Amino acid sequence: MSSAPSLGAAIDPRTKMSQERAELHQIDESTRVLALIFLGTSAVWLLVGTIFALIASWKMHNPELLATQEWLTFGRVRTAHLNTVIYGWATNAGIGVSFWLMARLSRTVLRHAGILYVSGAAWNLAVIVGTFGILRGDGQPVEWLEFPRYVTPLLFVSYALIGVWGIITFRFRRGEHTYVSQWYLLAALFWFPWLYSIAQIMLVFAPTVGVIQALTNWWFAHNVLGLWFTPIGIAASYYFIPKVLGKPIHSYHLSVVGFWALAFFYNWAGVHHLIGGPIPVWVQSAGIVASLMMVIPVIVTAINHHFTVIGSFQQVWNSPTLRFVVFGAMNYSLASLLGSAMALRSVNSVTHFTHFTVGHAHHGMYAFFTMVMFGSIYYMLPRLLRKEWPSAFLINVHFWGTAAGITVYVVALSVGGWIQGMQMNDVKNYPDFLQIMVATKPWLFARTIGGFMIAVGHIAFVASFVWILVKKRTDDEGSPTLFNTPPTLSLKTP
Amino acid sequence: MSAPSKPSHPAGKVSTHQLEQAAASDASITAIHQQLLREKPEPTEGFSPIPIFLLFVFSALIFIGGVYIAHYAGDFEPMAFDPSRGRQVAVAEAPKAVDPMVLGKRLFDQNCAACHQVTGLGVAGSFPPLAGSEWVTGSEERLVRILLHGLSGPIEVEGKTYNGAMPAFGPKSGYRFNDQKIAAVLTYVRNAWGNSAPAITPERVKEIMAAAGERPGPWTGPELDQYK
Amino acid sequence: MNNGPLLFLGIFFTIAFSWSGIVLTNLVQQTEAGATQPIYDKELEKIVPAPMTGDARQGQAVYADLGCIYCHSQQVRNSLAREGGPSVDVERNYGRRPNVARDYIQDGRVFLGTMRTGPDLRNIGQRQPSVDWHMLHLYNPLITSKDSIMPPFPFLFEEREIVGEPSPKALRLTGEWAPPAGYEVVPTARAEALVAYLLSLRTDYDLPEAPKSVE
Repeated sequence: MSSAPSLGAAIDPRTKMSQERAELHQIDESTRVLALIFLGTSAVWLLVGTIFALIASWKMHNPELLATQEWLTFGRVRTAHLNTVIYGWATNAGIGVSFWLMARLSRTVLRHAGILYVSGAAWNLAVIVGTFGILRGDGQPVEWLEFPRYVTPLLFVSYALIGVWGIITFRFRRGEHTYVSQWYLLAALFWFPWLYSIAQIMLVFAPTVGVIQALTNWWFAHNVLGLWFTPIGIAASYYFIPKVLGKPIHSYHLSVVGFWALAFFYNWAGVHHLIGGPIPVWVQSAGIVASLMMVIPVIVTAINHHFTVIGSFQQVWNSPTLRFVVFGAMNYSLASLLGSAMALRSVNSVTHFTHFTVGHAHHGMYAFFTMVMFGSIYYMLPRLLRKEWPSAFLINVHFWGTAAGITVYVVALSVGGWIQGMQMNDVKNYPDFLQIMVATKPWLFARTIGGFMIAVGHIAFVASFVWILVKKRTDDEGSPTLFNTPPTLSLKTP
Repeated sequence: MSAPSKPSHPAGKVSTHQLEQAAASDASITAIHQQLLREKPEPTEGFSPIPIFLLFVFSALIFIGGVYIAHYAGDFEPMAFDPSRGRQVAVAEAPKAVDPMVLGKRLFDQNCAACHQVTGLGVAGSFPPLAGSEWVTGSEERLVRILLHGLSGPIEVEGKTYNGAMPAFGPKSGYRFNDQKIAAVLTYVRNAWGNSAPAITPERVKEIMAAAGERPGPWTGPELDQYK
Repeated sequence: MNNGPLLFLGIFFTIAFSWSGIVLTNLVQQTEAGATQPIYDKELEKIVPAPMTGDARQGQAVYADLGCIYCHSQQVRNSLAREGGPSVDVERNYGRRPNVARDYIQDGRVFLGTMRTGPDLRNIGQRQPSVDWHMLHLYNPLITSKDSIMPPFPFLFEEREIVGEPSPKALRLTGEWAPPAGYEVVPTARAEALVAYLLSLRTDYDLPEAPKSVE
């Protein structure tokens, strides 16, 4: 574990380190305002999405809550939750982290920043209008694509511009070597506009015939998870883990295998949402096989991360960035392996249509992607603002609230969902649907508890965020805000 | 160049004096700040080889995947929806001796309980109770007819009036209950929730079916009075 | 992998391949096999699957805007065993046979759904043809279904003063659910359309490519 370099080396322009630092400084300067805008809006959407989540979760075991308000009926408030966390929180955070990483790794200052300003404004305006539209009842009945039609042109402008920006920046990258995160980011920025555009055309503007809609829907929705969020999450993990530790990634060759295996197999996995359904069995089997083959890139990524982290677990525990990112990366492996298992027909026959699936979805989107984004934000903001996080306590509350909360959440829904599925398949002993549904109630309540724990974490996070934004920069801010400062890492002068 | 004559401090507290000294040497380094100073170099990749056994594992997985898809692909037919390949003909229900109470309970739970409730208590004002009801334990002629053709309009059950519409369950209806099913479900309701009345056999149902004939619509209360 | 164009090509190819395989190939295959067209059923003497009537179509829009798809699926599954056999969904009376692709060609927007917080609704019109039941259930599910977690939809109904004769469509509410004296609860046009849609949900015909309906 290398310690921070001496001051002499730090400011000697002849050293490579200081040249790199000067470059990074310039790049960070150029990305500062935009990154703050994207990350700031993402934090706001996180709170909004959390409120919708709590309301929806409560309604699932106590449906009389706010029942007379049509705009808050479960079917709409749940949809508002999904869209605000996916397109408000996760996408804004993802874009912010992506272009910050892309600029740094391409070793170029942010070019054509205007594109990103327009994109960010269009995107957030679309999400605001779209969320109101959903609550009003204008939503589209297509999962993960519910924003009303009138919002679509704004979204299109936004993600088309981002895609273009990504390609241009990649094209003008410097340096001989293209780091693994850059492949994932380029891929994500290219794939997402295509996914969204095709889905809009074939599902909303000119709906295709019959079950082809379902095939298109789940090709789209699963790929938003697998080809937009997952690559960004993996790119961030591949950056922050070696960066904070100061160690190289274990194997370049494994990264290559991992990237292409993900690109090839993840694309086909979406069909597993339709196993047993009214679609030809060959495409179901293709989806099942692709989902199973996903263990390949998952094992590869896990090996790469593990062998990089090994020997440095103490550092991982002390650093806010690494605690969140490594928690996220580990859950990427876990959620994906569980997901591959869920694609097996024998397992799917139990879990399909149950709360188990919802638990799995949150396992991936939250325990993996959202936690990695939190870790990324904890790293980025001190560099963008040149200030340190004001309170290690708040970060601790954030971590424990969210980590424990999502664990309670996923476990509750997995157990409850499994029981639900077993009972649904046992017609002899459970002929009455109502009794099966009643048995899920305690698990749904446990999920609400998990949700409240997560909400506490989020409040701590937003409090930290606001605090670091408004606090004054002081000259003697020297040490990073760590959970425990071991002697060798202390940067304060004696 | 730039190295100050003072002993170098651990990177962290940088006094303005040192920065000014540095500034004099290279303009692009003047604004270096604490966070950047402690940053490690940008990440790089090591070149550890892929473990051979992993390659074997992956190849085996791909092979298994290929075999699976070849086996469970229904010959890539557009009309093959069942993993057992091709079209699967549903097994015809062989006439076997079935306990009417068991069959009747299943039929009741799945078709009748939505209105009459699993408890047989019905829903006040809308769906009459079956528990302790004379309509259930009384005349077979009336009861079977209700099931065959449905019942609509006001009736009095246990002193209360109900004005609803019960659908038809006979062989010509959407439910298509045959004589065995009608016999089973009626035997069940006549002997559940404290009710006690003689079972109804499929033959008896057939008799009543023949006698009742066809009807354009459901029975009404007054029409059924003759079968009390 | 430093070669930009090659990387880009690979990224493009993977998504093109999956879309072509999952969406395009099935679209072409189903169309060529004629499965996107209804057929004439000689026994029933009508086209199956039948097109939706106007009020059912309006009800479908209500179903969509209230988000019913998030708790209710609309697909009777095939047998879950690899060797085939009876379908659990059919045993649970969700339908007389598993659904196939052609069953959905008249739907317009297809609501296969992915959750069974509530029961599958593909054949609810067959399983529960009582308009009264649906009205009561939508007004407040607890009236007909003990401990149900389905949300009530009181805003699909109107509570109004009885002027002259009570409406024949008024809900027969008693006890704690009854409106104040002199008032009645009637369904709005949205509620009627929604119930019409629900009643239209029935797979009461056979298709050559589907297993035969059980009795």
